[in-house]
Amino acid sequence: MWRVTLRGLQGHALRFLLTASAVMLGVSFVAGTFVLRDSIDGSLSNLFSQAFKGTDVSVRGAAVGDALTEGIVIDPTGASSTTRPGVPLSLERKLATVPGVARVVPNIQGTAIIAGKDGLAVRSGGAPGLGFAYDPSDPAFTLIKGSAPTGPSQVLVESSTLAKAGLQVGDRTIAVIGNQTRPVTITGEVSFGSLFGATAVLLDDATARRAFAPDGTVASISLTAAPGTSQETLRAAVAGVLPASAEAVTGEQLAQDGEASLQSGLGFFTTFMLVFAGVALFVGSFIIVNTFSMVVAQRTRELALLRAIGASRRQVMTVVLAEAAVVGAVGSLLGVGFGLLIAAGAEKLVSTLLGVELGAGLPLGVPTVLWSVAVGTLVTVAAAVLPALRAARTPPVAAMSLDAGAAPAGLRRRGVIGGVALVVGIVMLAVGVTRIDAQWGLAGLGSGLCVLGVLIAAPLAARPVVRAVSWPFELITHTVAKLARRNALRVPRRTATTASALMIGLALISGTAVLASSAKASITDIVSVELTSDFVLSGGASPVPETVAPRAAALPGVQSASALSGVDVHAGSFSSIATAITATGLADNFVLSTVSGRLDSLGGHTVLVDASTAAARSWHVGDTLDATVGTLTRQRLTVGGIYADSAGFNSHVIVDRSLYLAAAPDTSRRDIGVYVRADPGADLAAVRAGLVGLVQPYLVVSVQDGQEFAAAQGASIDVLINLLYVLLLFSVVVAVLGIVNTLALSVFERTREIGLLRAIGLRRRQLASMITIEAVATAVFGAVLGTVLGLGLGVALQHGLASRGLGVLAVPWSLVVTLLVSSALVGVVAAALPSIRAVRLGVLEAIDSV
Amino acid sequence: MNTPAAANRMVAPALTATGSDGDTVAEAVDVTRVFGDGDAAVRALDHVSVAFGRGQLTAIMGPSGSGKSTLMHCMAGLDVVTSGRILIEGNDISDLDDRRLTSLRRDHLGFVFQAYNLIPTLTAQANITLPLDIAGTRVDQAWFDQIVDTLHLRDRLTHRPHELSGGQQQRVACARALVGRPSLVFADEPTGNLDSKASADILAFLRRSVDDFGQSIVMVTHDPGAASYADRVLFLDDGRIVDEMHEPTTARVLQRMGTFELARHS
Repeated sequence: MWRVTLRGLQGHALRFLLTASAVMLGVSFVAGTFVLRDSIDGSLSNLFSQAFKGTDVSVRGAAVGDALTEGIVIDPTGASSTTRPGVPLSLERKLATVPGVARVVPNIQGTAIIAGKDGLAVRSGGAPGLGFAYDPSDPAFTLIKGSAPTGPSQVLVESSTLAKAGLQVGDRTIAVIGNQTRPVTITGEVSFGSLFGATAVLLDDATARRAFAPDGTVASISLTAAPGTSQETLRAAVAGVLPASAEAVTGEQLAQDGEASLQSGLGFFTTFMLVFAGVALFVGSFIIVNTFSMVVAQRTRELALLRAIGASRRQVMTVVLAEAAVVGAVGSLLGVGFGLLIAAGAEKLVSTLLGVELGAGLPLGVPTVLWSVAVGTLVTVAAAVLPALRAARTPPVAAMSLDAGAAPAGLRRRGVIGGVALVVGIVMLAVGVTRIDAQWGLAGLGSGLCVLGVLIAAPLAARPVVRAVSWPFELITHTVAKLARRNALRVPRRTATTASALMIGLALISGTAVLASSAKASITDIVSVELTSDFVLSGGASPVPETVAPRAAALPGVQSASALSGVDVHAGSFSSIATAITATGLADNFVLSTVSGRLDSLGGHTVLVDASTAAARSWHVGDTLDATVGTLTRQRLTVGGIYADSAGFNSHVIVDRSLYLAAAPDTSRRDIGVYVRADPGADLAAVRAGLVGLVQPYLVVSVQDGQEFAAAQGASIDVLINLLYVLLLFSVVVAVLGIVNTLALSVFERTREIGLLRAIGLRRRQLASMITIEAVATAVFGAVLGTVLGLGLGVALQHGLASRGLGVLAVPWSLVVTLLVSSALVGVVAAALPSIRAVRLGVLEAIDSV
Repeated sequence: MNTPAAANRMVAPALTATGSDGDTVAEAVDVTRVFGDGDAAVRALDHVSVAFGRGQLTAIMGPSGSGKSTLMHCMAGLDVVTSGRILIEGNDISDLDDRRLTSLRRDHLGFVFQAYNLIPTLTAQANITLPLDIAGTRVDQAWFDQIVDTLHLRDRLTHRPHELSGGQQQRVACARALVGRPSLVFADEPTGNLDSKASADILAFLRRSVDDFGQSIVMVTHDPGAASYADRVLFLDDGRIVDEMHEPTTARVLQRMGTFELARHS
């Protein structure tokens, strides 16, 4: 039987190669993801072993409430968090006396950014600029050039930061250290290893203490154990002398925690990629099903002959499945190679998007290869099961009949099942998203049913859609287009399966596009309606220095300038990041509608709560909450007002800035933005000029008016969306391969017909047109179904998310048109190879072929 | 058609005529066709010269491998000659490119194949008019009706090939070959797949189209019975024309074929 399998593969080398490339594309995502994950793992352990070199025990503020993970927090020391109070520097001396402690190094750390050669802040992506105190005995940093800094105007710069700045040791530049901007001289260069895109500037100890620990507290103090003392022993000894507000953890623990938190951030990225691997494989499986179905149909006589001469059904099935296994394994191995390319591309993407440099190269582990090959092969074999079953059912007598093609089965049953699934899906989806509190389980199930229903019923839609698509061609070249249309509809099931691959890809793209453009439109809408600020000062990923707000408020023409920041609030089981702002700032810049109480009551320990939280927690105006705010425990907060939920003001609780200042230690204060309201009638251009002049020395702070602010918010969505498009494009490439494959097979199937058409006078160009029109019709058919499905799902999801900030529906019509037009191009591209093959067929050989 | 049928039947061109006169529709001049090269070379046609009369049904017979199909393919522009010339309506087609050959087949030749070779996605009617549709030529409705009625296909026009019997399919193929009023129709074993009744129908039609419409037909066949419908039978063996017979009957053809077999085996 193996010989039959091998012969089968040889005989249909081209089509199996195409199928294998479909498998390859899917598997390459799987392999690429694994490689990328290994690379991230390698870089992370590298980073943390470097960061905690010499730290056996770290003393830090005791956690208050539950730690919250938000996004990707890059913090190599793993110590800073708004939920922990600072550790007093006065502990330094006491810790030095603990038995087993060899060295005490307070982690004096804050934000520090230098201006590069071009005068702009040195930064990349969302990674922060870090400032440290330089300690020559700290093994984490190695001075590789120049000398240690002395005095407030000297700095050391980490190698990659220096390279990004385009500066050299000895150069002078501007630095923003903590809240201060000053000219500095770069006295030396230190190496650290990978900082994951962050920049690092080191100061002398006294300068760093003044800048980063003005209140005498630091985020943590690192201890090195004396030889012979284990980390755990030291931790226990240190814990004994600490006040209740501080705790001791081992370096190992810190490294693990830090790695875990970073991984959860980057893990999102790999999960994301696995999803696309799944999509690509899913789309690929349609091609596999199609290829094997067609090959089986074409080989009916051969298979029947096998049966006639005594092969069992099981053996016939084994032949087909064995072919699938070989094709799957070959495709998977190719996919691993291609996956390395994808991983390289993804690393580039990670470094440009997130500013994270992965230094570990592209590790190709044995598990990666095994997993990829296993997944690819299994998917291929699984997809071939149905065709194999069909092959096994070939009656031996089919070997004798000339007409091998089985009569096409009726589509009615398929139509009914698919239609029912679609209708039930639509109803579930509609019910799911129109509930006040969207039922995502129901909506998800409904979406799945919709997709399934369309997939099942697609052959029924083939006739009208293909007819409509080929209509314009029939005006130009009547007979050729008619032949093409008839060919496309000859086996509607096959055409539908071929088109399904493209359909899924385009459904995902158009659905995503609806959500993305709705999100953009919603943000613009929300900002224009709910934000009444004249200007917003923000620093992107970097905080706005605390001194900006008071200085902006003092500018002529400025009515108010209010800093906005976030602080953890825990009350019983309730836990959230509250917005901190003054009552004036709230009133001047944000449009919130009062549900009960008074919003201007914000101040001191009087807080505001949004309506849904108040309802869920049964909080009423005048209620008192026992809460933890930042580092302050057991605070009695009074609910002063309840405001209607707001998509723009995306927080459940608002606290007064004075409470925030008391609750957040100096080292962890971060003003997210400063919102400026001009005096009525003030010359906005003049106010803007004043603000620009004010923030200029801070390097990272920019001035935007409301519209610019909205656009900037939208731009961040664009980056994400473009990334999505690139990934989804892969499924489209897979789909193109599918169309090529089906066409090539059907050209082969129709060799005799093609020969006849050529004999009775069809020109080569007409033949190529016929195949191209067939391909275009198939592709556009898939695109139409996919786009309609994607738009439908996108609109439904937008409806469900309306209360969560996606209130405006924006359908990207230009994209829809682009998709449909490019799908026609996809058809043209896909038809190229099969056309060339068909045109090259000799007329006589074609007619004589059986 | 215009040409009086009876007059046409009387014309019997010379066996190896090389000139082209008004009564010759197609002509092979010293045609040689060699397949392969070196030791493996097979000479399928060996300096064949033959003219086909206008308004005649010419049958080509010969044992398997005698070159009868090759001769027809070369005449029809489906195959290229190694040397020699092929003239259709006096025009040399030996050096035409694919595009011109395609136009020639489309506009001047008709084909009937053994395996019907209809397009399964098209109705009988669409199959019949396919060559004209491809060329973008208007269908002569009166002529179409005449052919369809002669072939008794009127009530089958909307059927697809798989809904037709073998005989019906071959009648559709005949109609397709004739609908464009080609100079010459090539029929390659047109009755090879048919039972005797259906065969007789097809042959009677071919005969009739020569007699009534003045159509010129070249038919390759194995069947002495089919050959008996011809005006003239050419016998090929080993790539050469070895004999010809006018006004054949089944018995005479059978007898002649028998001598072939004897000659071969001796």
